[in-house]
Amino acid sequence: MSERLVSLQPGFLIRHWPYGETSLLADVLTRDFGRISLLARGLRKPKSKLAGVLMPFVPLLLSYGAGRGELHYLSHAEHQHSAFDSPLQGKALFCGFYINELITHFLHQSDPHPEVFELYQQSLMSLQNGAEVESCLRCFEVNLLELVGYGLDIRYDSQTHQLVEADRKYHFSVEQGPRESVYGEINGTTLHALHSRQFKDKESLLQAKKIMRMVIDFHLQGKLLKSRETIAKIIKHM
Amino acid sequence: MVMDKKGLLGQLIQDLCYLPGVGPKSAQRMAFYLLQRNRDGAKRLAETLLESLNKVTRCKSCRNLTDQMICSICSNQGRDHSVVCIVETPADVWAVDQASVFGGVFFVLHGHLSPLDGIGPDELGLDLLEQRLENKEIKEIILATNSTVEGEATAQLISEIAKRSHVRASRIAHGVPMGGELEYIDSSTLTHAFKGRKPI
Repeated sequence: MSERLVSLQPGFLIRHWPYGETSLLADVLTRDFGRISLLARGLRKPKSKLAGVLMPFVPLLLSYGAGRGELHYLSHAEHQHSAFDSPLQGKALFCGFYINELITHFLHQSDPHPEVFELYQQSLMSLQNGAEVESCLRCFEVNLLELVGYGLDIRYDSQTHQLVEADRKYHFSVEQGPRESVYGEINGTTLHALHSRQFKDKESLLQAKKIMRMVIDFHLQGKLLKSRETIAKIIKHM
Repeated sequence: MVMDKKGLLGQLIQDLCYLPGVGPKSAQRMAFYLLQRNRDGAKRLAETLLESLNKVTRCKSCRNLTDQMICSICSNQGRDHSVVCIVETPADVWAVDQASVFGGVFFVLHGHLSPLDGIGPDELGLDLLEQRLENKEIKEIILATNSTVEGEATAQLISEIAKRSHVRASRIAHGVPMGGELEYIDSSTLTHAFKGRKPI
């Protein structure tokens, strides 16, 4: 057993599983300690006070102590009353789940990334404020990858090393980047939009989605994003 | 004394540990009790368990656990078949039925939407629910999924489906529990309680 107690650390619940009869195992993203596993003992008991607090997409303040290995024991949690008065709704809510899955895949345990925490918080806020979900997701994806070291190099043509021009067409491959081609399926404007994180039209959003899907799948090395398929089915029902 | 966990007896003790809330010590007590004191009971238990495993399946209409094609609730003509209460688990059906405030029928999802676990509309049997909604027998659905983010998401999706079929959907109220004191209630529950207040 050790030693270190963390008090009122800002964090978000990313994922959770039932643990034993009455406890809950939580995957949380903290500001200063990265993604960690917390065991919330007794949380699923009928009278647990934390059950109503420990929810995804809500800014939390978490107090916990070191446990066994990578596992920490949650001692206290409360809501941070700064933002997020209204919960995520509809499509934005499901995008929240997708963002959470990306976090579980691209952040290692106990690897502090305060900038990713900031990005996560910002993205949830814009989803909550009714921002256009697709452009919000693309910005999150491209920023997340950059912050964890998989930044996209899309400003220059990979063969000619010239700046990408808005009115030309490009091929895109994850390993090489954009390459100019009259038969290219990606517009130069899309690459500009991805670089500046400003999507002005539907076409560039759609193309950006294709690019980001290729890039994410490449880095996942064969692992599948479960939420992607499930959310597509959910949206079909909506 | 070190117990010999080998042999059939050891196996029985180990298998009893599959039950929720049963550890090795209680499993041991149960095993000895069944084998020494109540062998008839043990035999009945074993037979019933085996028979249940073979026969209990999901009701074709509401997906509740039953040993019939259609469960006793769905086949009860005394109940109001135009109102359907949607719950996450068979245990919730029991809980709502015990409270005896609801005289309609149920639909059991066996879970909630959980995109990260790949649990979507298909796993929850929403196709079946959609079919039933389109049959025009149902006038109202009551969404009694759990008060968690996933439970809310599930309720939202089902309410959209109901809207498409022109069926009225309502969500059960959340708030201050009976006998609860405001001082000790967490802020999110209180927020819900205030948002869902009603005139008296």
